[in-house]
Amino acid sequence: MPVSRLHFEEELNRIHHDVLVMGTRVREDLEKAVTALRERDETLAQAVKADDPVINAMQTKIEDQVAILIATHQPVARDLRELVATIKLLDHLERIGDYSVHLAKAAIKFKDSKRIRQFEILGKMADIGCIMLSDVVVAFLNYDPEAARTCALRDTEIDALHKELVKGAFGNTPRTEEEFTEITRLIRVSAFLERLGDHVTNICELVVYMVEGLHEELNA
Amino acid sequence: MSTSTPKFSVSNLDLFYGQCQALFGISMDIDPNSVTALIGPSGCGKSTFLRVFNRMNDLIDGVKITGSVCYDGMDVYSDFDPIDLRQKIGMVFQKPNPFPMSVRDNIAYGPRVHGTTGKKELEEIVETCIRKVGLWDEVKDRLNKSALSLSGGQQQRLCIARSLAVAPDVLLMDEPTSALDPISTGKIEDLLQELKKSYTIIIVTHNMQQAGRVSDKTAFFLNGVMVEMGETRQIFFTPTDKRTENYISGRFG
Repeated sequence: MPVSRLHFEEELNRIHHDVLVMGTRVREDLEKAVTALRERDETLAQAVKADDPVINAMQTKIEDQVAILIATHQPVARDLRELVATIKLLDHLERIGDYSVHLAKAAIKFKDSKRIRQFEILGKMADIGCIMLSDVVVAFLNYDPEAARTCALRDTEIDALHKELVKGAFGNTPRTEEEFTEITRLIRVSAFLERLGDHVTNICELVVYMVEGLHEELNA
Repeated sequence: MSTSTPKFSVSNLDLFYGQCQALFGISMDIDPNSVTALIGPSGCGKSTFLRVFNRMNDLIDGVKITGSVCYDGMDVYSDFDPIDLRQKIGMVFQKPNPFPMSVRDNIAYGPRVHGTTGKKELEEIVETCIRKVGLWDEVKDRLNKSALSLSGGQQQRLCIARSLAVAPDVLLMDEPTSALDPISTGKIEDLLQELKKSYTIIIVTHNMQQAGRVSDKTAFFLNGVMVEMGETRQIFFTPTDKRTENYISGRFG
């Protein structure tokens, strides 16, 4: 293989590694945020908030690496689609990182809440979200559109749980302003987790685009 | 760009140098008023294929062709006199090759050979063609000077102007910028965009980025076979054949 191609692939492997590190960190923060929410753990929630700038810095660093690779190697075809997809993937990962922060903030605000059923639902949504996130990063790094398509299917489970939570949250009419605020906050957290599923689905679509060059809407 | 009637239609073309087959079953259409790039590794047959269109391979002993090549619906090998064909289908080579004459005479030579004798008419042809290639301001005060005194980039533009002087329909270009510096290359590439409004251009290039920049369609050749041809944006973004993907991505070649 020509030396210039080898150099390109070495740089691409570095980007892959950094995407894996960022994806892993985002997933870990998400898991910590959900644990903080389940257990009303303020210390853990603060740790998640403190990690957000680290995630953002990772995004910036990988974006620059991608831009330099495009400028110096003028990639085409799948190489170019992969680099374009990587930049978009970073945006989605960064947004998922933001949702972890929102969950962490909610954990702090919910510390006295007694809504066990709704927290169970939130926990299930987050668990599915974490699995989807892991699966799609692996699919991306393995250039596996079928794995991505399979991953995207689970978004319907998150959507269904979100509907269940919203329906159940208004099961009893709130009697106080405090209850109303709590319900609203719960629904907002559930919406973040529902959006998380959407972001992961978008990443699944990027895997298909990267490998097959198709703009396919998954799980529409 | 018109796509209704191809300027060239090639059907099942095989070419042999003696016993050695160099082109295998090539079939393609070339659109009029477009730039078509032929890409592929060294020795893949792109320059041999380019020379098929104006029968320059006739000048090589032992070359045999089967299949058909049609130009405006007429067979290149049976319906045309080669000299007339080469007036309509001009050629520019990798190394600029101006005649050892003045700038003016380089342009006027072709029309004179084809029967143009009027001085005013020849001067008009000289100025028009030199202007078309964007060279007029650089050489208008040195038309009587030797063309060999021009820079490489200027010489190549002069060679293109020389091709235009006999009023061709098609320009064949075999790596026209590979011997030139980046600025001269840029000028020639800009020129191609202008020229394609009036001419059909087929260009052989080793420069992937150049093919991407200048061409409307690209054909990838490998070992004498045309592997894939399509809109340039499709070839360079979503090639169908893995061999094309590997070549344009620099995995070989």
